[in-house]
Amino acid sequence: MTKITFDSVQTGQELAPFTKKVNQEIFWKYAVASFDYNPVHNDPEWVKTAQPFKVPYTVAHGMMTMSFMTSVVTNWAYPNMLRIRKITSKFTLPVAPGWTVKCTGVISEKHVISKGKNYVVVDLKAENQEGALLGVGEIEVVFPD
Amino acid sequence: MSRINFERFFKTEKQKEFSTDFFMDAEDYEVWNEIDFANLEEVDGERTFEIKAEDIKAYAEGCLDDNPFMTDEEYAKKSPYKGLIAHPLFVTPIIFYCVGKKGRGNWIRTPGARNPGQEIEIYDPFRVGEVIHIRLRPYDRYIKRGKYYLRYKIDMYNQQNIKKATCISTLILPPTREDMRKFLKGQRGLTD
Repeated sequence: MTKITFDSVQTGQELAPFTKKVNQEIFWKYAVASFDYNPVHNDPEWVKTAQPFKVPYTVAHGMMTMSFMTSVVTNWAYPNMLRIRKITSKFTLPVAPGWTVKCTGVISEKHVISKGKNYVVVDLKAENQEGALLGVGEIEVVFPD
Repeated sequence: MSRINFERFFKTEKQKEFSTDFFMDAEDYEVWNEIDFANLEEVDGERTFEIKAEDIKAYAEGCLDDNPFMTDEEYAKKSPYKGLIAHPLFVTPIIFYCVGKKGRGNWIRTPGARNPGQEIEIYDPFRVGEVIHIRLRPYDRYIKRGKYYLRYKIDMYNQQNIKKATCISTLILPPTREDMRKFLKGQRGLTD
């Protein structure tokens, strides 16, 4: 694999997407993995009446959507020894069981500082199978060169 | 709350001993309108998190990521990382585990809480063998479009007191204890 250098990346470059279909069992597994047992993600009976998101069904953990978006970048960064420094996200639509979550990333900024401090910003978005926007994010990735 | 069988998904020792019932201790949770913002003193989390290989692998699997740097110990050992490297969002189980049931920050467990988005800075990736402790304090509290937001700053350190990450943890909460109690009864405790 050709090693990625700071000079070699360009704004507008797209990273490989990260796409997963989710369901209630995946929500449960994520609850266990994250220790987040909020019933809005886990309890279909409770949520029918409690409806924090004004919908009578469970929704995915926001941190799972954020993890999916981040995986777009780790799949690119980790093999190339790049350092992920800052991650921000905003969730725009709760993810329902049965949806497919497709996360995509584009290098939007290239910060030319100095060796070891040069970094790029990757703009991320998560959409469902109908193209509805589920969330957006930004990740700063520092290059060693 | 209906009984969900989470046990069939447990993979790690911490998962087996962590309580899955966020309702049980809800009366001890910090509530949006009761938090004392005159006291911004930083406090420790209720407990520490000793990172084991099973923890890093379990989180990657939980977010459906089969990246071998996070899941394959032999592969990661032969890589320049010399061992497993955690998914950046590994801060999530660390925070929930370390905050615990009764400590400051336990509002993150509030039934009815909604996640609007988050902010995380990673200074150094989490590695097997590190023992993480957190220090946290109130950061901001505001109302926007009828929703009640609470933010805490959570810093994470390893056993050598090297800062590993900072999270500005934000949730939209039921604003009062009475609103939270409605959620405990399965009612909607919000008006937005």
